[in-house]
Amino acid sequence: MVNDPNAVEVKTLNFFYGEKQALKNINLDIKRNEITALIGPSGCGKSTFLRLLNRMNDLIAGVRLEGKILLNGMDIYAPEAESADIRRRVGMVFQKPNPFPKSIFNNVAYGPMLHGIKNKHGLNRIVESSLRAAALWEEVKDDLHKSALSLSGGQQQRLCLARALAMEPEVLLMDEPTSALDPISTSKIEELVMDLKNSYTVIIVTHNMQQAARISDKTCFFYMGELIESGATDQIFTLPQQRQTENYITGRFG
Amino acid sequence: MITHSNVWRFFTKPLMKTRLAPRRGLNGLAGKDIGDRQSRIIFTVLGFTALTALLLIVLFLFLEGTALFIHPAEDGSRVGLGDFILGSFWYPGYTPPEFGILPLMAASLSVTVLSACLSIPLGMGTALYLSSVAGPRVREWGKPVIELLAAMPSVVLGLVGMMVIAPFMQEWWDVPSGLNMLNASVMLALMAIPTIASIADDALESVPRDLLEASYALGATPLQTLMRTRLPCALSGVGAGIILGLTRAMGETMVVLMCAGGAAQLSFSPLDAVRPMTSTIAAEMGETAVGSSHYSALFAIGITLFLMTFAFNLLASFIAGRYSQKGYQAA
Amino acid sequence: MKANNLKKRKYYTVAVFALFRLAALLTAAALAGIVLFLIIKGAGSISWDFLSQSPADSMTKGGIFPAIIGTFYLTAGAMLVALPLGLATAVYLSEYARPGRINSIIRLSVANLAGVPSVIFGLFGLAFFVTKLGLGISILSGSLTLALIIMPTIISASEEALKQIPLSYREASYALGASHWQTVFNVVLPAALPGIITGSVLSLARAAGETAPIMYTAAVFYTLHLPSSLFDPVMALPYHIYKLATVGTHEALVPIRYGSCLVLIGLVLGMSLAAIIIRTKIRRNKQW
Repeated sequence: MVNDPNAVEVKTLNFFYGEKQALKNINLDIKRNEITALIGPSGCGKSTFLRLLNRMNDLIAGVRLEGKILLNGMDIYAPEAESADIRRRVGMVFQKPNPFPKSIFNNVAYGPMLHGIKNKHGLNRIVESSLRAAALWEEVKDDLHKSALSLSGGQQQRLCLARALAMEPEVLLMDEPTSALDPISTSKIEELVMDLKNSYTVIIVTHNMQQAARISDKTCFFYMGELIESGATDQIFTLPQQRQTENYITGRFG
Repeated sequence: MITHSNVWRFFTKPLMKTRLAPRRGLNGLAGKDIGDRQSRIIFTVLGFTALTALLLIVLFLFLEGTALFIHPAEDGSRVGLGDFILGSFWYPGYTPPEFGILPLMAASLSVTVLSACLSIPLGMGTALYLSSVAGPRVREWGKPVIELLAAMPSVVLGLVGMMVIAPFMQEWWDVPSGLNMLNASVMLALMAIPTIASIADDALESVPRDLLEASYALGATPLQTLMRTRLPCALSGVGAGIILGLTRAMGETMVVLMCAGGAAQLSFSPLDAVRPMTSTIAAEMGETAVGSSHYSALFAIGITLFLMTFAFNLLASFIAGRYSQKGYQAA
Repeated sequence: MKANNLKKRKYYTVAVFALFRLAALLTAAALAGIVLFLIIKGAGSISWDFLSQSPADSMTKGGIFPAIIGTFYLTAGAMLVALPLGLATAVYLSEYARPGRINSIIRLSVANLAGVPSVIFGLFGLAFFVTKLGLGISILSGSLTLALIIMPTIISASEEALKQIPLSYREASYALGASHWQTVFNVVLPAALPGIITGSVLSLARAAGETAPIMYTAAVFYTLHLPSSLFDPVMALPYHIYKLATVGTHEALVPIRYGSCLVLIGLVLGMSLAAIIIRTKIRRNKQW
């Protein structure tokens, strides 16, 4: 399994909100230790697709899924799969920073504590290494017991990243993580994401095509619930194979 | 609609003549005959109604109540504040009368505490169920039903306590009377549950969805998300709801008047009859002469009750205020 | 991170959620039981005569018409006083008052007025309206007392309704050159009216069920004639039930007690239900 280069494999995936089909026949392999960017106009299904990868859409009533999603070879929608277990293995960073109204320490320790890690020493270690990985440690190491809400927006988002990294996830999902941030915070997050690919598989939804071009190895273009085109980022942005992709990246719609 | 604007006309017409500056604005609209200045004055004055009412209530409670300590009673004896609060005998009909409200205060507190043992778990359980367990259909019905139950007249619950719970207790525990502290507490709990459940549910519902998602995304189960994120975030609102529910139970009159048995004694057994402050006022006001020392004593009980509930209400708004200031702001 | 305790966590969730469900069921069962009990016991005595006749033979026969009409007068009177005052306060708080100390003092007094025990309103009504103002035990005294009780609810319901009117409505009005008052009167109030009315009906239902505040300000156990002026005392449903419950143990009183109870909860819960249904519809249809 470890030899299989794909962290995520999506096979003939169809997804419905009630009667409305949101995703149509998606097939996609996502390679380990790469950054994959999902792009496309609003409502194209890219965020829906992202949220299927950690079963966040389970929280919505009246949804239906056909097809398979394999996480390191395991079918995450198999009857015996537990959504809590899947989400433990797949980290997520959201569009808006959403730290818990708790201390910085407790935000990062939240996940490990959920899963039964109680000893102070172990928690301290996890919190420090996660905050370092999110490049936040130097800024907050003296204020670990201050409220997370006292941080700036960019810091909050890096805290949310640290919170996700504390679980040592197999895959890290990011849903437009910089859309609510200023340019400086955005570039910090982008640098971080590029560092992270050494140890993590990152899938990032973005509205910002420059961002996708800057940081990703692979790019997938979604349109009207379909995966139109996927491939190496260089190729997608320079030599798109499909007319729709070309129209989108050259700014003719979106 | 028609009555509504008539009411406004009624309030605003007399001011037309007092208009000071020429009116600027759109012609032909209703309400054009009143300027901004005048409307501001009217609403500012009327805006103080609630404050005035509260001040009047305090004033008259104190005017009538403090007379007990200032003027000598009919037989020339005087009542001290200490005798009043710490005295353990309430014999208003004796000569000289004894006005010790310790047993009444103890009764009020004990029925409140006993009812809290029932209303907090059931009210909170209901709120947690509605907010985090129930499906959307049950939610949609459950919330209005709770609100409906909050409107249940207390005299009806009192009657049920008298006619159903009391005979049942009498038989079950073989006590002389089923009208006692426990009976009143059970019925009071039924009054407090909707208040607690409704306010706690509101607080739980107002926790932002993205926080819950963050918790789920870290692999938390629904229970963990509830206990570690949702409930802690809603804690101040929930706390305020519980305090308001208990305050409502303590200030409730008809249930204790009809079900608590009415014996003004210091007692700590749930099967003893007691006489809380509210029922003392309601039961005895009819048999006193206006201005007598007994009349003043009942107002003095009113002051005590008012101060107790006022303190609880302040506590609740303080807690709720902390909640709105420190609560999570998605921005 | 290992998932060593996944099974255990799952069982906890199931068990604890079952407890919550049980609490909700117990609450629902207790309160549904009370309503059902009253319906079963009281339905037999409900008849046209019961609703339209006066009591006879020292309460053991006849109907409860004077108590129903008395409750109607008291609540209608309370509404006539409380709605304009409460609405004006709400308009002041939401449209005129600037955030500051006075504003928060008023809010605090509204919140505290809402928490004052009803028996204290009764005491105040007795000392102020009945005695000081010399209105006597009368519809007027009782209505004024009840008005004070429901005012906080009306204020907060109205303020909530006013707050929900979107800024764009107001801006549209200002952009047409309307003054502040014209905007409030022509745009904000009409849009908020449904919310204000449902909130007021809910508070009115509460007033109809109150006993302690009218015991010594308005209600009597028996009147020979229906009230002819605002200064007459009246019979009232809640007080009637209390008296019937405590006045004696005559067999014939029992069905009348339950019948009166059923009429009262029918009135109170019916009014509340209507308001809640309308409010739900408004919220669902809201366009903004």
